Amino acid sequence: MSYLSLENVVKTFNKTEVVKKLSLEIHKGELVSFLGPSGCGKTTTLNMIAGFLEVDGGKIEVDGKPVHLLPPNKREMGMVFQNYALFPHMTVYENVAYGLKLRKVAKSEIKIRVQEALEMVRLSGYEKRYPKELSGGQQQRVSLARALVIKPKVLLLDEPLSNLDAKLRQEMREEIVDIQKKVGITTIFVTHDQEEALAISDRIAVMYEGRIEQVDTPAAIYNYPKTDFVSQFIGEVNHIQGKVLEAYSDKRCKMHFFGNEQIVAIQSVKDSEVHFFIRPEKVQISLGKSNESKEAFLSKVERKMFLGAKTRYILRANDQHLVADISNTVLNPNQIQEGNNVYTFWNPEDLLPSRMVR
Amino acid sequence: MQVGIGTENDLLLKQKKKNLKRKRIDTWLLLLPTLAIFIFFFLLPLFFLFITSFKTFDPSSGIGNEWTLQNYIKFMSDPFYLGVVWRTVKIALITTLITIFISYPVAFQISKSRGRARNYFTLLVLSPLLISMVIRCYGWVILLSNNGVVNNTLLSLGWIDEPLTLLYTELSVVIGMVHVLFPYMVLSIMGSLEKIDPSVIRASQNLGASSFRTFFSIMLPLTLPGVFAGSVMVFSLSVSSFVTPAILGGPQVKVMSYLTYEQVAVMLNWPYGGAIGFLLILIASITIIAYSKILARSEKGVAIQ
Ligand SMILES: Nc1ncnc2c1ncn2[C@@H]1O[C@H](COP(=O)(O)OP(=O)(O)OP(=O)(O)O)[C@@H](O)[C@H]1O
Ligand SMILES: [Mg+2]
Repeated sequence: MSYLSLENVVKTFNKTEVVKKLSLEIHKGELVSFLGPSGCGKTTTLNMIAGFLEVDGGKIEVDGKPVHLLPPNKREMGMVFQNYALFPHMTVYENVAYGLKLRKVAKSEIKIRVQEALEMVRLSGYEKRYPKELSGGQQQRVSLARALVIKPKVLLLDEPLSNLDAKLRQEMREEIVDIQKKVGITTIFVTHDQEEALAISDRIAVMYEGRIEQVDTPAAIYNYPKTDFVSQFIGEVNHIQGKVLEAYSDKRCKMHFFGNEQIVAIQSVKDSEVHFFIRPEKVQISLGKSNESKEAFLSKVERKMFLGAKTRYILRANDQHLVADISNTVLNPNQIQEGNNVYTFWNPEDLLPSRMVR
Repeated sequence: MQVGIGTENDLLLKQKKKNLKRKRIDTWLLLLPTLAIFIFFFLLPLFFLFITSFKTFDPSSGIGNEWTLQNYIKFMSDPFYLGVVWRTVKIALITTLITIFISYPVAFQISKSRGRARNYFTLLVLSPLLISMVIRCYGWVILLSNNGVVNNTLLSLGWIDEPLTLLYTELSVVIGMVHVLFPYMVLSIMGSLEKIDPSVIRASQNLGASSFRTFFSIMLPLTLPGVFAGSVMVFSLSVSSFVTPAILGGPQVKVMSYLTYEQVAVMLNWPYGGAIGFLLILIASITIIAYSKILARSEKGVAIQ
């Protein structure tokens, strides 16, 4: 049973459809990220859920009740904005207490709840400060406390961390997830940082041009992308193409890559060209031929880049480039020099067949 | 090596000093024309007027030779003159208050509109400033005089039996002043409305506030600096204005600038006119200082992000 549901939601700006029949079901207490490139409609969708934009079609339901016709102040959703949006003329205490005052909560209770909320975001003692007297991270925590103190039905975060520096961003995202799990609030987290989305989400909705391409757990999105866009957008990929030598009846084919044969689980016809993606960390290399690498082909190391825990090798085989990321504990990078020939191979399961038609 | 670093540092220091000097000269050079005009045509005459205001009146030459405080004493001890001071300040205060109430909604609408509509609105608001002060005032005379448009309409409708006295009253002066001064207020309020981050408004609605509540809890407090700044401008312009009260108020509604004019140009009593002029400057300055104190306080919590 889903708690928040979007059904065929449409938004049109000046005759261009920016959100196109978007449907999504979110369970109670779940953290779902909207991930996608700039301009794909993440903020627009979030604003429709919060009520700042009217939907031009479809409906939005919370807990079985339609909300898409309610004004934003009646929707009981907490929102955290990218630029914090704290009330500059109010102290931290007044900012957090604002929503409670509007709900006519008793003064004594407001005091207790504000204190609790500030404790939760580790900002007790900052009650009397004004927003401009706080750092960016602290402002964002006040903003989170202000949104959560009213016990909203849904928490909406629009790129809440993008104005913070890298280290703080990582700290804050863990803090947000901790709080989200503790409170158990249904949450939508908008981001265009895939690492962020992979790290914190229960599920990720990958968006592209106003549509949701795939909704899945981070692992499933990464390992089993359903569309070419998702394969290319999440993580890095090598494009490779091969020729079908023989098509078997059990949805497998014998493929020909880089002068080498391999049996892959795809459905195709004999002699057709098939495109695949493979992630750099799934490409393996070795100096000698071993049991593991019996289907290996030779390629030349064109460049070698030391990246800390791993080393990136740019390989060339049959006039195609191939990027391989190898952990330095698996293969000592000193053993391989630029210009060397190495055996290159992969697990057939790691090939992501493309739907691309060229 | 050590020595080398020392001289290098010295050189750097010298160069820095040179640059600084250069910069200062540039600044002064750029300010020079304005400064010259300001000193020769404003400060100097003002200074002579100030000295004159402490001289006795001489019926034949205007300015006498003796020093005296009599001009100031005469003004401060005469209920008639004090009444003029009170009227001047009262008219300025009423004008300021009315412009605030008229301008706020206008500024609000303009800052909400976009594109072409916005340009037209702005032009409309600025239009009083485009017409000559005198012509604009005579326009009001045509409207407000005893057989003017307003009275004639009311008479022909049968709503009144005798023409109302509209012209040459404090009311007509206030009307004229509001008309010419409200653009300043609109622009000032618009400036602070535009500084408000739209997501702050959304945050307020998101937390459960109606538009009405959002206006009074968020928008209004955040635009107070603009309201104050506009008030300072409108007040100081109206307290010292001459043409509008002269045409729409005349001798019946004397204000301080009119008194000054009367003393200097009609009575040829330069010392007394100078004293009145100086008291006017004093009143305006005190008000502006008081206002800016309030302004500084109201901006304390308001971050310009
Ligand atoms: N008020 C508006 N009027 C017209 N077009 C708009 C408006 N708001 C957004 N758009 C357009 O809608 C599309 C989606 O915008 P949106 O802000 O939802 O993107 P986003 O996914 O949040 O991007 P980003 O990651 O850059 O924040 C964009 O192409 C944008 O130009
Ligand atoms: Mg956005």
